[in-house]
Amino acid sequence: MLSLRGCGRWVAASLAKQHLPWAQFSADSAAPTPHFDVVVIGGGHAGTEAAAAAARCGSRTLLLTHRVDTIGQMSCNPSFGGIGKGHLMREVDALDGLCSRICDQSGVHYKVLNRRKGPAVWGLRAQIDRKLYKQNMQKEILNTPLLTVQEGAVEDLILSEPEPEHPGKCRVSGVVLVDGSTVYADSVILTTGTFLRGTVVIGLEMHPAGRLGDQPSIGLAQTLEKLGFAVGRLKTGTPPRIAKESINFSILNKQTPDDPPKPFSFINETVWIKPEDQLPCYMTHTNPKVDEIVLENLHLNSHVKETTRGPRYCPSIESKVLRFPNRLHQVWLEPEGLDSDLIYPQGLSVTLPAELQEKMIACIRGLEKAKMIQPGYGVQYDYLDPRQISPSLETHLVQRLFFAGQINGTTGYEEAAAQGVIAGINASLRVSRKPPFVVSRTEGYIGVLIDDLTTLGTSEPYRMFTSRVEFRLSLRPDNADSRLTFRGYEEAGCVSQQRYERACWMKSSLEEGISVLKSIEFSSYKWKQLIPEASISITKSHPVSALDVLKHEEVDMESLAKVVPDLFKKYTQCRELAERLKIEAAYESVVFHQLQEIKEVQRDETLQLPKDLDYLTIKDVSLSQEVREKLHFSRPQTIGAASRIPGVTPAAIVNLLRFVKTTQQRQATVNELPQTD
Amino acid sequence: MWRGLWTLAARAARGPPRACARRGSGAPGSGATIFALSSGQGRCALAVIRTSGPASAHALRSLTAPRSLPPARRASLRLLRDPRSGEPLDRALVLWLPGPQSFTGEDCAEFHVHGGPAVVSGVLQALGRVPGLRPAEAGEFTRRAFAHGKLTLTEVEGLGDLIHAETEAQRRQALRQLEGELGQLCRGWAETLTQALAHVEAYIDFGEDDHFEEGVLEQADRAVRALEGALGAHLRDARRGQRLRSGAHVVVAGPPNAGKSSLVNLLSRKPVSIVSPEPGTTRDVLETPVDLAGFPALLSDTAGLREGAGPVEQEGVRRARERLEQADLILAVLDASDLASAASRDFLDTVVAPRAAQSPGGSGQRLLLVLNKSDLLPAAGPEPRPGLPPHLLLSCLTGAGLDRLLEALKAELAAVCGDPATGPPLLTRARHQHHLQGCLDALGRYKGTSDLALAAEALRVARGHLSRLAGGGGTEEILDVIFRDFCVGK
Repeated sequence: MLSLRGCGRWVAASLAKQHLPWAQFSADSAAPTPHFDVVVIGGGHAGTEAAAAAARCGSRTLLLTHRVDTIGQMSCNPSFGGIGKGHLMREVDALDGLCSRICDQSGVHYKVLNRRKGPAVWGLRAQIDRKLYKQNMQKEILNTPLLTVQEGAVEDLILSEPEPEHPGKCRVSGVVLVDGSTVYADSVILTTGTFLRGTVVIGLEMHPAGRLGDQPSIGLAQTLEKLGFAVGRLKTGTPPRIAKESINFSILNKQTPDDPPKPFSFINETVWIKPEDQLPCYMTHTNPKVDEIVLENLHLNSHVKETTRGPRYCPSIESKVLRFPNRLHQVWLEPEGLDSDLIYPQGLSVTLPAELQEKMIACIRGLEKAKMIQPGYGVQYDYLDPRQISPSLETHLVQRLFFAGQINGTTGYEEAAAQGVIAGINASLRVSRKPPFVVSRTEGYIGVLIDDLTTLGTSEPYRMFTSRVEFRLSLRPDNADSRLTFRGYEEAGCVSQQRYERACWMKSSLEEGISVLKSIEFSSYKWKQLIPEASISITKSHPVSALDVLKHEEVDMESLAKVVPDLFKKYTQCRELAERLKIEAAYESVVFHQLQEIKEVQRDETLQLPKDLDYLTIKDVSLSQEVREKLHFSRPQTIGAASRIPGVTPAAIVNLLRFVKTTQQRQATVNELPQTD
Repeated sequence: MWRGLWTLAARAARGPPRACARRGSGAPGSGATIFALSSGQGRCALAVIRTSGPASAHALRSLTAPRSLPPARRASLRLLRDPRSGEPLDRALVLWLPGPQSFTGEDCAEFHVHGGPAVVSGVLQALGRVPGLRPAEAGEFTRRAFAHGKLTLTEVEGLGDLIHAETEAQRRQALRQLEGELGQLCRGWAETLTQALAHVEAYIDFGEDDHFEEGVLEQADRAVRALEGALGAHLRDARRGQRLRSGAHVVVAGPPNAGKSSLVNLLSRKPVSIVSPEPGTTRDVLETPVDLAGFPALLSDTAGLREGAGPVEQEGVRRARERLEQADLILAVLDASDLASAASRDFLDTVVAPRAAQSPGGSGQRLLLVLNKSDLLPAAGPEPRPGLPPHLLLSCLTGAGLDRLLEALKAELAAVCGDPATGPPLLTRARHQHHLQGCLDALGRYKGTSDLALAAEALRVARGHLSRLAGGGGTEEILDVIFRDFCVGK
């Protein structure tokens, strides 16, 4: 039987739902088999978000994890956010996800990256206290209504007959744990991270583990393979950890955090730990001696030699040295927490044998006497080709089975969290028979992430970059709430009333502010007199609106409030509102011109393809074998997604459209026929 | 709901769609109104140029200023002028066809101009300069009609084939154009711009990740300034360089010594190529404009396809293969008395069979198989070789079979030339200018902003324009350059 940890609400939950016939037959009469709406396997960044999102949507949810005490563990870097990743966190937060709020409670060094490069690409980032994050996350998870947490390793899935109205060869209806016990579920979300046949590599040593010190999942990997999922292998790595007191910081470059710090969450105006209590970071560099050690010992480094695909970018010091020799590479020395005596040397991810790692560290400036507490290591693990899942993250093969996080070939906490929220919402919507919640490429970084994965797949660990996003100027960190919070509230029910009301207030304040800004017009000459520091050209003869003046780099709402206080003063009361008005003004015209293009993409997204289309056999449509196979594998849900699959030609798209339209017409005719009998 | 086809329109000509490759649809607010030469390119007194989309009325007014819009659906005579220079272009019949009662269901305009290339080219370029107008992509008019429910499903049946055919035709067209100096220029520009964009993107995504070499942005700025200069100079240059030859591209190909040059001389009625009994006499591609059965055509004689000859001839063979790819119609010539030879069989397998296997009326290149030297065959003998695809017998020496060949050529060329997609070198030029100008305008916006996200957006738009001419432009391509040039990662 399951060991009860955390809270024991699951007993009540399972008693409440015993209406499925097979459950009655299979359950031991003495101890009824527990039954949940949604079961989430894995308590990492994807799993916690998925479980919490499903529970917020009203589903009785069970989170199954190897160890409750590792929930909320940051297995690699002690930081969250960054360029592109910060964008994802804002969107997760807009859907009332956890990581941004937990980060605001646990951050020890806030820094907005790209400050000088334009607000569309600002990267919110912070060093996070590992211990605080874990504590705060566990507190949140263990106190989430409708969410039960259990320890247990899942060995197998329980499968049953498929629902005829959905595609898929079978349906998941529960899980079998290592001890042989079962839990029934209406939806199951797999967020097993690097644990599927995970192997940890240090030097030439390899041993099975999902993370240093944790068992991998092998039975589950076999189950998935038997079901017919295409499996690939990826690798990643983490740097060694160094004792704080053994580092000579005095000779290194110090970076102090932002003051004031910018919170991750829309609902927070400040962060928990005050700037003066926050910790600094330090920077040092590699040198030719590091290159030498890496190059001389390649034969002792099986992770680097392995053919398993790593990314084109360079996460390990070995790949940096091999691909960009004779350069100095920067190493950030990051604090792991307020009372932690560990330092995380970001940029020094390495898989050399431990003694060589120590040797390498010792030749770096400031680390001459450094003590290595834990060696860096590599992880190789199975991932499932993400073209086998739909944009709701449900698998094509098995109904009601969802995948989220590293299992889909991504890397990074934020990428995992983003998928977790979407999987949790959709697993819950699936149970209540509501339409899936899909974020389009035109709506968010989450949409780009999931669309890239599900239509293109990935052959290297997928990381979010802003350059992947076509409509980067519209999908900004500042406006994630206006893009997603309303949808989350109305369509998924995953957003709290408080957040929804705040988003409503912000939306109407912005609209009102912009219309006021547009309505105030003076001659350019007068503006120049009012705000002399602004580079306003006075050659224009027509009147210039305050919105146009606000576009100038040197002008902000404060400067406008000074010259027209009775109208603009009130918009400077809220710092966020003033900043957002300024950003809206800066991008207004370009965003307006992009709308046409966004609408075109959205139109294609509304053209749904039938989910049960058998591309390999349909006769009435002329498609090449190659195109058929591609469509069969990726199962695009819309014409838009189909047209993004490489090798699917425009002609094939038109033929598909024609087929769909003919089918719809035939359907309509059949429905109109008088019913006999 | 079928309006979604809009987006498909722009994708057709780019070959396989790429994820994330944004269309450089150009000037703000554009992308909705298209124009094209709608009549074929056989010799004719009139040419018809059409527009479709919301800016049609504006286009019509711009070219016929100062006159007002003519009454709907009534032919009116107007003097057409270039809206920028005011230079008269032609006296033409114009039609104003407001939607939804038009062929595409949108606002449409038609210009019936005199058929000379100078006039047609002038009007097309004038339209390209009207804000909001861009040249149509393959099959775009038909697709818009489909999107607005103006075509029944049966009419649309062949639409997929049509788009495929037009895409192919445009691809061949682009290949021809990219062969010359202009193509090299274009590819060079695209490369420069890709690099500049990749470096700006890298600076945005990774600028704080690792210490960037000093001056990445300054380098991009310099590249953009140089590119701006080059594009501006090119657009101002009155010399047009390589003349875009109009007419169907007919390529004569076959194994050595099959009599290709003899056939070219016979068809052009002049000794274009040197003929000799020695295999490998023709070593380069020889072009000659001819009138074939009443259609303008560009006839190319090519080196005989064989392996293992000397370096000069090998280059000739390479050029011959390149030219084959660009042909609208291939005249495949074999020696009727030598069909069993390795060279003949190889040619049949690699060149004739794949094209003959295509469905008639389908998309790909057309091909006529000619068995020359029929005079060497025994009189009234059996089939030269069983299992051959449909073919024609000819003797260049005696002229026997020439009439039937001309008849077959006429049918093929009528099909090729009747299709407006295959013969618009003038439209190709208009498209070229449109995208170069769009690129130049975007580069101007790059310089005008200090917000790097806005600057990168301007470069993305500029790159989109060039990718329409030179291909490429997807996100993956940019990422490849980033990861090649910079050491980035966590």
